[in-house]
Amino acid sequence: MKRRKFIQLSATFAALAPLAYSCKQQHKPIAGSIIGASSNIGHLIRNGKFDAPIVTAVVDVAIVGGGISGLSAARWLLKNGISDFTVLDLEKKMGGNAAYGQNDVSAYPWGAHYVPIPNEGLNEYNDFLVECGVVTGFDDKGLPILNEFYLCQDPQERLFINGQWQDGLIPHFGVPEKDKKEIQQFLHIMQEYRLAKGKDGKDAFAIPIDSSSNDVDFTNLDTMSMKDWLFSKQLKSAYLHWYVNYCTRDDFGTPYNIVSAWAGIHYFAGRKGKAANADYHDVLTWPNGNGWLSEQLQNPLQQHLQNNALVIKVFEKENKVVIHYFDVNTKQVKAIQANHCIMATPQFVNNRLLVDNTERKEIVHKELSYAPWMVANIIVGKLTDKTGAPLSWDNVLYESKSLGYVTATHQLLQQNKTINNLTYYLPLNELQPTDARRDAQKMSHADWVNLILEDLKKVHPNIEKVVSNIDVMIWGHAMAQPVSGIIHGGVRKKLQASIGNIHFAHTDLAGISIFEEAFYQGINAAKKVIATKN
Amino acid sequence: MQVKSNSAQLILLVAVFVIATCGLIYELVAGTLASYLLGDSITQFSIIIGVYLFSMGVGSYFSKFFNNSLLSWFIRIELLVGLVGGFSASVLFVVFPIASSFKPILYAFVFTTGMLVGLEIPLLMRILQDKVEFKELVSRVFTFDYIGALLASLIFPLLLVPYLGLIRTSLFFGILNIFVGLYLLKKFRKEIKSAKSIQLVAIVILLAELATFALSESLMSWSETLAYNDHIVYSTSTPYQRIVLTRNRKELRLYLNNNLQFSSADEYRYHEALVHPAMSACDQPKHILVLGGGDGLAVKEILKYPSVETVTLVDLDPAMTKLFSTQEVLVTQNNHSLTNSKVKITNGDAFVWLRDNHQQFDCAIVDFPDPSNFAVGKLYTTAFYQLLKKALKPEAVAVIQSTSPFAAPKSFWCVSETLQSVGFIATAYHNYVPSFGEWGYVMASQKKYSIPDTFQIPLKYLSKTVMQQMLNFPEDMKAHEPLAINRLNNQALVNYFEEEWGKYLEQ
Ligand SMILES: Cc1cc2nc3c(=O)[nH]c(=O)nc-3n(C[C@H](O)[C@H](O)[C@H](O)COP(=O)(O)OP(=O)(O)OC[C@H]3O[C@@H](n4cnc5c(N)ncnc54)[C@H](O)[C@@H]3O)c2cc1C
Repeated sequence: MKRRKFIQLSATFAALAPLAYSCKQQHKPIAGSIIGASSNIGHLIRNGKFDAPIVTAVVDVAIVGGGISGLSAARWLLKNGISDFTVLDLEKKMGGNAAYGQNDVSAYPWGAHYVPIPNEGLNEYNDFLVECGVVTGFDDKGLPILNEFYLCQDPQERLFINGQWQDGLIPHFGVPEKDKKEIQQFLHIMQEYRLAKGKDGKDAFAIPIDSSSNDVDFTNLDTMSMKDWLFSKQLKSAYLHWYVNYCTRDDFGTPYNIVSAWAGIHYFAGRKGKAANADYHDVLTWPNGNGWLSEQLQNPLQQHLQNNALVIKVFEKENKVVIHYFDVNTKQVKAIQANHCIMATPQFVNNRLLVDNTERKEIVHKELSYAPWMVANIIVGKLTDKTGAPLSWDNVLYESKSLGYVTATHQLLQQNKTINNLTYYLPLNELQPTDARRDAQKMSHADWVNLILEDLKKVHPNIEKVVSNIDVMIWGHAMAQPVSGIIHGGVRKKLQASIGNIHFAHTDLAGISIFEEAFYQGINAAKKVIATKN
Repeated sequence: MQVKSNSAQLILLVAVFVIATCGLIYELVAGTLASYLLGDSITQFSIIIGVYLFSMGVGSYFSKFFNNSLLSWFIRIELLVGLVGGFSASVLFVVFPIASSFKPILYAFVFTTGMLVGLEIPLLMRILQDKVEFKELVSRVFTFDYIGALLASLIFPLLLVPYLGLIRTSLFFGILNIFVGLYLLKKFRKEIKSAKSIQLVAIVILLAELATFALSESLMSWSETLAYNDHIVYSTSTPYQRIVLTRNRKELRLYLNNNLQFSSADEYRYHEALVHPAMSACDQPKHILVLGGGDGLAVKEILKYPSVETVTLVDLDPAMTKLFSTQEVLVTQNNHSLTNSKVKITNGDAFVWLRDNHQQFDCAIVDFPDPSNFAVGKLYTTAFYQLLKKALKPEAVAVIQSTSPFAAPKSFWCVSETLQSVGFIATAYHNYVPSFGEWGYVMASQKKYSIPDTFQIPLKYLSKTVMQQMLNFPEDMKAHEPLAINRLNNQALVNYFEEEWGKYLEQ
C-alpha cells in the first residue's frame, strides 16, 4: 500500500519534469515536399502505350541521356569536329545524378557533390579541368595547381562518436588502442594497394577502372565481399568495420557485406591524385556539388541540348538508328533518325528502350542491381551543437543509418552564415533494392522529416526549432551496385560492346559510379563514333 | 483510519525528501554561481557549505519557538523555501553587476534557505511524533533527508547544469517546492486554518516563477554583463557580434564578443602603428581601402593625410559603423571620421566584397579580428591575399593586423609567410600597446620597405627611431620552426592560433 502511494507520488513529480522543457516547442509541421527525379514521367515507358511518331528529324549522332556520361560524349564529339548531334534527356535540366537545386540561401546538390584530386595521367580529364579553371596552372614539378576556391575549405570532415565531434572520419576519439592499431594496419594495407602495380605494369587500382591491372592477384579480390576480406586479414575491430561499411555505403550505396572487396579497396586505393596545393585525401567541391562541373560541360553545348524528351524506343533500321521520344511539353511522340546513337542511360532503362537484344536484357536483369537513395535538403538557422570539432563540410554520425550531411553553404566565402543548406544522405540499403524502393514510395514527407530530425537531434538538440524547410528526393535507381563479380566477372565487357551503331556509355558499365568514370564512359563511346568516320 | 494516517505520514516524508533535495540544490546553485562570478571555486564552495550547514542549525534552534498549528507553518515555510530558493539564482545574476557588495547578498540567500530548510525537519518530526514511534520516526525522516541529498548531488552536475542551467534549475526546484506546498494544503485542508489565503499566495508565487522560467533566456543574456570589470555604458547584440562598451575613470573600452578591441587610453599606439608605416610608404596616397575597422579609429589616422581623396571602409556589421558614426562619446573618440565626406562605408563581407571589386587602391589597412575561428581564419588565407593584391596598385602598400608575436609567434609569422607566398614582400613589425600587450603587424608591398626620414604629420607615438625599433624582433618573438602557409583548405593559421592562445585561456 505504502509503496503504491509512494510510486504514485513520485509519478506526480515525474510528471512535473516536462516543465523543465517548457521552452521546447511542440513538433510543428515542417515545410517542404518530396521532389522526384521525374520517376512519374519515367514510368510512362513501363506503363504507357505511345502513338506513332508524328515527325522525324535527322541527325548524325543522337545521345540519349544527359548525365555526365552523355554530356562528356557530346563534348568529345564537338572537340573532334562533329557538331551534328543532339542530347536528349527526360528531365527539365541536364546533369542526371549531378542534379542540383537552388533556394534563397544558396545552390545545393541533389546527388553527386564532390570529386577527388585528379589522378595523374588522366590527360583528357586534366584538360577539361584546365578548360573550366579548376586547374589554374602547373608547378615546376608538373603538379597541377588547383583553384583554391574549389578545394574543400577546412574544416573538411568530422565524426560524432562517443559523445563528441572528432576531427576527420576515421574513428579515434574514445577508441581503444587495440582498435586504433587495427585501423592503422588497415590503412597501411590500403596505402600498399594504392602504390601496388600488377604483373602487367599497370596500377592495381586505377581510375577509370578499366585501366587497372588484370593481374589475378588483385582481380581475385572481386570474388569475395569486403567484409569477408577484412576477416580474412584478421581485422575485426568494430570501429574499423563501421568505418569501412560507412565508406562503401557512401560511395556505392551498398553495404560492405555484399560489396566486392576489389571495389571496396578501390575506394581507398584508387585515389592517388597529387596537386601542388592538395593531396589525395582532399576534395574539390562547389555549393551545387558536381552540378557545377555539369554546367561547365553544358556551357559549350547549349544548342545541342534537348530537355523534357523522354526516349521510349531505340532500334536499328536499315543501317540507321531510330529513336522515338515523348516530348513532355507538347505531349507528342517524335522520332529521330541518326547514323549513330550513344545510349548514356542506365542499363535497366535501356532494357525498356531497346527492342530486341533479349540476351543482353537477360544479363542486365540477372546481374545488375541498383541501390535506392534518399537525399534531403535541409534549410536551418543557427544549430546548437555537441562539443568538439566545429561544423564541417562533411558531418557524419557514428553508427547512424544515414551518411550524415554535407554543408552546401560551406564553400561560400561569407564568414557569417546564419542560415545554411544541409544535404542529408541516406542510402536505402537495409532491404533488397526492390523492397527498399517500394517502402520508400510509401513514406510521406512527414515520415521522412521525422526520420531525419530524429537522427540529427542527437547532435543538434535545437534542430526542430531552427529548421525551416526540408525537401526530399528519392533516387529509385541511384547507382549500380558493385557486388562481387561485377567488376572482373566479364559482365561489363559484354554490356559495353556496341550493337551495330548503338554505343553504350554509363557509369553502371564502369562498375563504380563516380564522375571520372562517367567522363571516360562518354569519351570512349564518342571515340567509337569518331572511329567509323575515319 | 490506519490506512489514512499511514498515507498522510508518507506524504510528509516525501515532503522531507523534496525539501532535502531542493535545499541541497539551492546550495549547489549558490556555490556554482559564486565560483562563476567570483572565481576561486574551493573558497566559494567551502564558505557556502559552511554557511548553509550553520544556518540549518540556526533554523533547527528556532523551531522550538513554533508551538501552534505546526502543519500550517510547515506549509508556509515550504512556500517560503520555494520563493527564496527558486528565485535565488535569478536575483543573484541580476544584482551581480549592479550591487556594490555582492557577497553579503549571496550569503544572505544561502543563510535564509539554509535556515528555512533547518526549520522544516524538526517541525515535521514534531508533527509526526504522535503518529509514529520515535525510533521509527527518526530513522525514516533522516533516511528520506539523506536520500534526497544524494539525489540532488547526483542530478545537479549530470542533468541540471548541462540541460537547464543555473537560473532554470533553481526556478524548477522552487516550482517543485510550491507544488508540494499546494499539495499538502489540499491534502490537509481541514486541519489548516487560513488555507484559502495561503493557497492564493502559493499560486501567485507559482505563476511568478513560471513566468521567470519562461523568460530566463533573456535574463541570462542581460546578466552576461557580469563578464566585465568596469561599468558597462552600452551593450548590444547585432546579428554578427556582441558589442560592449565599458568605462572607468581612466578609459573607455570596446569589446567585440568579449575580446578587447581598443582602450581609449592607448588606442593611438595601436592605430598609429597600424596606419602610418603603410601610409607614409606610399607616395601621395589618394584612394585608401579599410577592411574591418568599423570603429573609425584607423580612418581617423588616414584622414590626417591631405593627399587622401577617398576612404572606402568595408565592415561586416552595420550596427557597428552606425554606432561609431552617431554615438556622442564614440564620435569624439574617432573625431567624426566615419561621417567625413571622403569616407564611403560599405557594410558587407570583406571576402565577398573583394571578389566582386574592380577598383584599385593606393593603400589598404586590414584590421580584422584575430583568426580565432575558421570563419575569420578565411580572411587571412592565400585566396584572400590574392584578391587583395588585385585590389592594389603596383606601388601600393597594405598592412595586416596580425595578432601578438609574443603570445602567438607562429600565428604572427604564418601571416607573413602567407603574404609572401602570393608574391608580396612582407615587412613585419611590432610595438607595445599596454592594454593588448606586445602587438604585431605585417606590411605587404611589391617594393622593399624603407623607413622614411620623417612621418610628416604630428604623431604621439611613432617616429623614425620608434619605427627602427619596431622592425627589430628579439628571439622570443620568432617562430623557430618552418611554418605552413594558410590556405582555405588547411586553415593552418587557426590551428596555430588555437594552440598558442589556448595556453593563455587555460590559466
Ligand atoms: C545520391 C548520389 C550521390 C553521389 N555522389 C557522388 C559524388 O559525390 N561524387 C561522384 O563522383 N559521384 C557521385 N555519384 C555518382 C554519380 O552517379 C556519377 O558521378 C555520375 O553523375 C553518373 O553519371 P551518368 O551519366 O553515368 O549517369 P546518370 O547521371 O544516371 O545519367 C543518366 C541520364 O539519363 C537520363 N535518362 C534516363 N532515362 C531516360 C529516358 N528514358 N530518356 C531520356 N533520358 C533518360 C536521366 O535523366 C539522366 O540525366 C552520386 C550518385 C548519387 C545518386
